[in-house]
Parts: sequence; structure tokens; C-alpha cells
Amino acid sequence: MIIVKGNAETEAGAMPPEDLFTAMADYHDQLARAGVLLDASGLQPTSKGARIKYSGGKRTVIDGPFAEAKELIAGYTLIQVKSRDEAMEWARRFPAPHGETAEGEIEIRQLFELDDFAPSAAVERFREMETRSKK
Amino acid sequence: MRFMVLVKADKDSEAGVLPDGKMLTEMGKFNEELAKAGVLLAGEGLQASSKGARVRFSGKTRTVIDGPFAETKELVAGFWIWQVKSREEAIDWLKRAPFDNAEVEIRQIFEAEDFGDAFTPELREAEERLRAQTAGRR
Repeated sequence: MIIVKGNAETEAGAMPPEDLFTAMADYHDQLARAGVLLDASGLQPTSKGARIKYSGGKRTVIDGPFAEAKELIAGYTLIQVKSRDEAMEWARRFPAPHGETAEGEIEIRQLFELDDFAPSAAVERFREMETRSKK
Repeated sequence: MRFMVLVKADKDSEAGVLPDGKMLTEMGKFNEELAKAGVLLAGEGLQASSKGARVRFSGKTRTVIDGPFAETKELVAGFWIWQVKSREEAIDWLKRAPFDNAEVEIRQIFEAEDFGDAFTPELREAEERLRAQTAGRR
């Protein structure tokens, strides 16, 4: 998963300028043509979001917005690749997420596959759900 | 409307400690309820940040930094993508999730309509092509 970190602009709900939109569209088109793109979306500002804390059986809901814009997530791209190196090659080619003149950061994280878990009835149920969802 | 649910990391997830049988079973049941209700679009766990990396963009420079990363509470350990009628519906589902000592964040996903004029007809067509190409792929 390629995670795009936020900034003050994304938190303000500012629309990306057309050249950034185009750069993102071109890049994702390349990912799709290479058979690598699984999914990608932008996330609305945290002012429309919330957090839920779970502790001692209780749930506490806290409405956004949240501070530390640079630690927040503004978008994601999911890719299927043969190796971490291939993922990093694509990550290096990611368009500057807030435009060429602004600072930006992306984070790359490997997903768990079901085979990473010790076999169990619970894992099999996840596998069945996965199979059903692909139909 | 679609929401992304982000499950925050903790020291166990960052240490690569896998959920135990009880958690996997309860989470499996919860996921099945979400799927039955037509809410579940996607859900995945993320491996520890020690297996990950960051890329920093500054002007023309790209700097690669390998994980692990320090701020555990700001890291993501897993996510769902849900289709719901409202923010309240997403929160209602989340209150029922089998977590204890955890924090999740919910974020609304941008749909094409939200971008207005910035989302030109050409970009819209490109987006539809991408969605068609990636549908059901894994």
C-alpha cells in the first residue's frame, strides 16, 4: 500500500490543481497498464472523519478535525508486485503528492497475505470470504 | 458513500505479533456480518513498518527512508473500505467491532462528483477505464 501523507492544503479540502490531477492520472494509468494497480482513492479531510477509541469494553467517539496534518493520511494506492524492490521502483516514480513545489511524503507498507498466518479455521473463513468476493 | 477505516498500530503490531485465534475468529465473524450487509468492500492487514519505507519529495529530490518508524500511534496497521449510507452508519458498525485497547480513524473517500470542475471529462474517462481494468483484480 502506498500511503500519501496529508498537509495543511489537503486538510483544508483544497482541490488539487489540474497539473497534479493529470500527473496522478498518468501515473495510475501506467500502474494499470503494467497490471499492478489494485485500487486508489483520495480521503476527504479529517473534519469529515472521526476516531473511535476502544478501552476496557468502552467505545469513545471523537469527531475530527485532527491536528498533525503531516501524520494524517490523504490518500492510498494499492499495488500488486513481485517484490519489495518492484514496489520501491514504483514508489520512487510516484508524482510529488502535493505538487512539484511542495514538500510531500508517501509511506510504503506490505500487506499481510492469508498465507502469512498459521492455518486455522478462522483463516479459512477469511479465505472463503475472499473467494466469494472475487466472483 | 465510501469510508476508509484505518486501524492504528501498537507495539504488538509493530513487533510483528499476529492476532491470536480468538481475535481472528471474532474479526472473521465481524467481517462476515459486514459482507452480508453489503458494507465490506475491502479489508487488509499491513505488515510492520520495519518491512516498509517512506519516500520524501522536496523539489526534484526523492529520499528513500527504510522503516521501522517511531511514532507507533500515527502508523496504520490495517484498513477497511466500507460502503455505507452515512457517517453514522459507519460509526455504528465500528462500535460493534471486536477491538479492545485500540484506536481507529474513519475517513470519507472522495468520489468523482466531489471534485467538481477540477475533474475534467478527460480525467473522468481515464478514471472509469482504470476502475474497469482493476475491478475484481487481486
